[in-house]
Amino acid sequence: MDNMTSTGNSTPLPAMPSFRQVIRRVQRLPPTFLIGSVVLIFYLILALTGRYWAPYNATKTGTGPPFSPISAKHWFGTDQLGRDIFSRIVLGTDDVLFLSLSGTLIAMILGVPLGLISGLVRGWFDEVFMRILDVIISIPLLILALLVIAAAGSQLSGNSFLLIGVIAVVYAPRIARMARAVALNLVTSDFVTVARLRGESTLWIILHELAPNATGVILVEFGVRAGYAPILIGSLGFLGFGVRPPTPEWGVMISENRIGIVTSPVTVIAPALALALLVIGLNLFTDGMARILGRSTNQNP
Amino acid sequence: MIGKLIFTRLILAVVTLLVVSILIFWTAEVLPGDIAARVLGRESTAQAREVFRAKLHLDRPIIQRYGIWLGGIIRGDFGQSLVNDRKVVDTIGPRLKNTLIIGLVAFALYLPVTILLASLAAVYRDRPIDSFISLLTLIGLSMPEFVSGTILLFFFAVAIPIFPVMALIDNAKSPLEALRILALPAITLMIIMSVYAIRMLRDNLIEVLDSEYIRMADLKGMSRRQVILRHALPNAIIPALNVTSLNLAYLIGGVVLVERVFSYPGLGSLLVDSILLRDVPVIEAVTLIVASIYIFANLFADVMTMILNPRLRYG
Amino acid sequence: MIKEIITSSNSLLHVKDVSVDYWSQDRWVNVIDRISFDIQTGESVGLVGESGCGKTTMLYSMVGYVRPNSRIREGSVLFQGEDLLTQSKSKLQHIRGKLISIVPQNPTTALSPGMRIGKQITETLEAHHWKSEKYNAENYAIELLKMVSLPNPEKILPKYPHQISGGQQQRVLIAMAISCNPKLLLLDEPTTGLDVTTQAQILDLLTELRAVTGMSLLYVTHNLGVVAQICDRIGVMYAGYLVEIATRHTLFRNPSHPYTQGLISAVPRISTPNVKQSLILKGLLNRSELPAGCPFAPRCDFSLPRCMEETQELISIERDHQVACWRWQEIPSFTERISRITSEVPQQSTAEGWNGQRSLLAIENLRAGYITERVGKTYKRTPKDVVEEITLDIRPGETFALVGESGSGKTTVARAVSGLLPYVSGILNIEDRYDLKMSMRKRSDDMLRSVQYIFQNPDASLNPRQRVSLIIGRPLQKFFKLYGEALRQKVIRLLADVHLDASFYDRFPDELSGGERQRIAIARALAAEPKLLLCDEILSALDVSVQANILKLLAELQVERGIAFLFISHDLAIVRSLAHRVGVMYWGLLFETGRVEEVFNPPYHPYTYLLLSAVPEPDPDNVMPTVRMDTGLIVGAKKMTCPFAPRCPVKVGQVCEVDQVPWQRVSQTHQLRCFHSVEQLLFIQEKIA
Repeated sequence: MDNMTSTGNSTPLPAMPSFRQVIRRVQRLPPTFLIGSVVLIFYLILALTGRYWAPYNATKTGTGPPFSPISAKHWFGTDQLGRDIFSRIVLGTDDVLFLSLSGTLIAMILGVPLGLISGLVRGWFDEVFMRILDVIISIPLLILALLVIAAAGSQLSGNSFLLIGVIAVVYAPRIARMARAVALNLVTSDFVTVARLRGESTLWIILHELAPNATGVILVEFGVRAGYAPILIGSLGFLGFGVRPPTPEWGVMISENRIGIVTSPVTVIAPALALALLVIGLNLFTDGMARILGRSTNQNP
Repeated sequence: MIGKLIFTRLILAVVTLLVVSILIFWTAEVLPGDIAARVLGRESTAQAREVFRAKLHLDRPIIQRYGIWLGGIIRGDFGQSLVNDRKVVDTIGPRLKNTLIIGLVAFALYLPVTILLASLAAVYRDRPIDSFISLLTLIGLSMPEFVSGTILLFFFAVAIPIFPVMALIDNAKSPLEALRILALPAITLMIIMSVYAIRMLRDNLIEVLDSEYIRMADLKGMSRRQVILRHALPNAIIPALNVTSLNLAYLIGGVVLVERVFSYPGLGSLLVDSILLRDVPVIEAVTLIVASIYIFANLFADVMTMILNPRLRYG
Repeated sequence: MIKEIITSSNSLLHVKDVSVDYWSQDRWVNVIDRISFDIQTGESVGLVGESGCGKTTMLYSMVGYVRPNSRIREGSVLFQGEDLLTQSKSKLQHIRGKLISIVPQNPTTALSPGMRIGKQITETLEAHHWKSEKYNAENYAIELLKMVSLPNPEKILPKYPHQISGGQQQRVLIAMAISCNPKLLLLDEPTTGLDVTTQAQILDLLTELRAVTGMSLLYVTHNLGVVAQICDRIGVMYAGYLVEIATRHTLFRNPSHPYTQGLISAVPRISTPNVKQSLILKGLLNRSELPAGCPFAPRCDFSLPRCMEETQELISIERDHQVACWRWQEIPSFTERISRITSEVPQQSTAEGWNGQRSLLAIENLRAGYITERVGKTYKRTPKDVVEEITLDIRPGETFALVGESGSGKTTVARAVSGLLPYVSGILNIEDRYDLKMSMRKRSDDMLRSVQYIFQNPDASLNPRQRVSLIIGRPLQKFFKLYGEALRQKVIRLLADVHLDASFYDRFPDELSGGERQRIAIARALAAEPKLLLCDEILSALDVSVQANILKLLAELQVERGIAFLFISHDLAIVRSLAHRVGVMYWGLLFETGRVEEVFNPPYHPYTYLLLSAVPEPDPDNVMPTVRMDTGLIVGAKKMTCPFAPRCPVKVGQVCEVDQVPWQRVSQTHQLRCFHSVEQLLFIQEKIA
């Protein structure tokens, strides 16, 4: 069986490209992809290294007077309790990245295989499955998230795992429906018919015919979903159902600092911009990825 | 033929709604386990919990409880609030009205803005104006409604106080004043709905503009304006109608946040409050109403698509 | 209608040195290069060439229209003394659709889907401020639809485009195009998507309209048969260059450019069927590999080093005959080259020796159909018969062709044999007897292996994410348990069998041309060592020269390996050159089977006659019969016992609609279904001819 690889569809390693070739290749990438990558790398660095150089502890109160304006000491001012906004933004990065990506990933792991199989086997399983998905999807995203949080009750409120679970539960049905559509589309293609006429097993067809063609769409879907996840987390935080205070979270910060918007607008604007820039970065990255893969990002979120 | 199609859709919508109600009931009342302990807190006395259980019929079997609940809803009775003992309907009524008002105003703003910007972007594709609109929509997409709302609030209510900080619609004395109160929250909602729809409609329009029948219309000697108004827009808008359902989801999600930002007394803020207070009957009622609005608005969009598309109208 | 007086040798339009570029990644790429030609008043000019030669671009740039990322680099198009390429937008608007009209390739996408037909016609009139004392716009639209021979024009006006057939849509577009009495009609492959019978009717219509209105035509197509039938003068394009232009008789009798010679000889003909006759056009038009000089040089048998460097200009070699080849005098004449090839003895698999052999595939009384399924919010499943009462057999090593218009059920038969359809009756005879009723899921490996399916479109039938090595290698792994070096060797051998070298081994399908992809699909089918190949329109997506090469390949493979082909095609000329026996289908029924020469020459069955008489032969002397008895495909009519009855020019009577159609035996190998006796049919046939 080890001979399989020599003739299989595994891509052989290309020869090491020269530095100039690398530059040329990078230049040819879509600009959105490049800008998106830069933004994402910036956030990754914040998330990974922030704790070592952030000027203050995120939860330390009284680092300055309440709602103090921008200064060399407090780049983005302080909040009502005198906590340093800049430090809180930097130290809130890892949470939002971790929650968004892991929640979306779990949703993909649940949704993609179910959707692909449902689209491939069709029949009663598919119909029942789709009905259930339709029902869940007919509850708007944020409302469903709130319903799940309400069901989880007060003990779990503010727990990171609850938030990951909420993202997974809310996303999985939508992802499953996308995967099913992809499978349905591919299943009717001639090359799958050829494989079926050869008597290939369902597993072989999924692995060798469907999967390589579906990865592009699925990657783009992951990007689109992951791009919306910080918004969802922020929204829940803003409404008071997010990460438990005093853990720094941008949505909570916007909500808390709104009372100081007149005296020190930066305390609201800064976390808002941090959130928006992250989402822009994710969206640009996904857009670029979609362009590289030849897809459109404007599919149903 | 189309009548039958609409009828099937209607039945399907009702069935979906029924299953949604089961889902909501199950999530709100069964999933959490002992609601009494949840609502009253762990320190509550056993006696208090018993009284509470009786009030919510928690001593009966689940199916029976669902039956009682659903039966009540069909009669227009959503039960009583656990917090203030008022009838849920009385609480919801005015809130629902407020939310519908703001939703409709936002929707009325959304349509012209979307069509105008999408057409501009598509007709001047790859020119500066297209890039600019694309950038605007990208920023809009990346800004949650509570961020854009807060920023609007800061600029137009705090920095330049044209509009009120709190959208206390119930205090409005004249329709004009009401409109002033509604402006900021409605614009926020409009933005959140438009950004996605503009991108979608632009893509649709470009696809149509690249189509052979547009080229033919050009080559028939028609003016560009006629070609766009008569051939491109109608053919691009019909498929884009489906986006409306998506936008309703944004609208409904957005309402919750926007009402919070502007302290607007609508269904959304009621839902948030009732979750914080664990007011189960109110939670159930609001989610069910929201879901049914969504489902039937979707149905409406579907039916409109069917009626407007000659392919579906004439088999 | 106002009749124009045809004045002779009066140039209506003069194209001079037009070059068009398109923007590709980071530079302008040449699409057409300094093309010049004239169109006289009342003349019909044809432009032919293979896909990608720039003929359509040429047509649209004649009214100053280019695709968004293209530009007209230079040149002029003089029309009534004015250069159309320098006109203002509004001036062009007045010319387009009024003085010069266009009929596009695909009528289905060219009509606005959300607007009623009538409105689309009157809209054109409004745009050009049409006025008439005799008619209002609506009545005039009805008159126009009458002119293009559409029955019940009043009923068509309020319809939407999707409610009428493709042929009717094309008539509507022609009506729209002639609505303002244009001087010139530009036709961009107007019949390419249509059935051959519909095509014949459209061609008749164009000839008639031209005679009535005196307008000039420019007909752009890849179909040499069509231009041979309706054009006075024909230009041949290659890679953006006009390589030869001549009157049609000259062009077909004495083509002087090596490319034209190859192209004309590559087209299969019904009258003189012989695959082996075609001159080989080696290689392909690949724009990235064009030399600085003559674009055809790399493929040319007569090219010299000078050809690679020196651009060729059109030179006049006789009256009305220009060629862009400096060696035109040294190149042997067309007739000489052809005769040299025929003297090489072709190897031919013969139908002899099959008699008495057990048939490989025996289908008896086959009924097959689809399960229609509505994907969407409601699901419905009802079986629907598409073909019925099909009885045919194929012997080992034989090519059996199924012909008929689209919707006749040809493909359904192939799909039924392959096991793709849910219910089928019949027998597949491979060593042991297999029951075709078995769906593919229940079939044994041996049975699956024995029948291989090749699809029409290789773009869709090759997985874009698989390398050639896996595409061809997988059947070898699956059926013959070949792995490692043995597998690699075998794949390379199969590549060689379809005339591709080992460098293709690691490529992805999108790195291949259309013809190469179809070769890969053939190699994949061969890998299974089948007994029967189901070829479903496998040539229709390919250019003529590629078609000729693949036809040759198929014939070779059959001789070497003794594979039987079930060959499905709408192209009767290809069938005539390749098939041994043929079955003619109409609306799910088989009407005639027999050896190809018996069925085609002369055609007995009225439907076979209709089909054959509609084929435009690439021969100006072999003119299509102009009197067409065909009423055209009747859409949505009720299916009679003889489904052809409503369209039959020699229908017997009521009996055709209610009684079972009987089989008639013409010879040992030839039978047909009709209520007329064979003698009657022969009599009718002679009377028409």
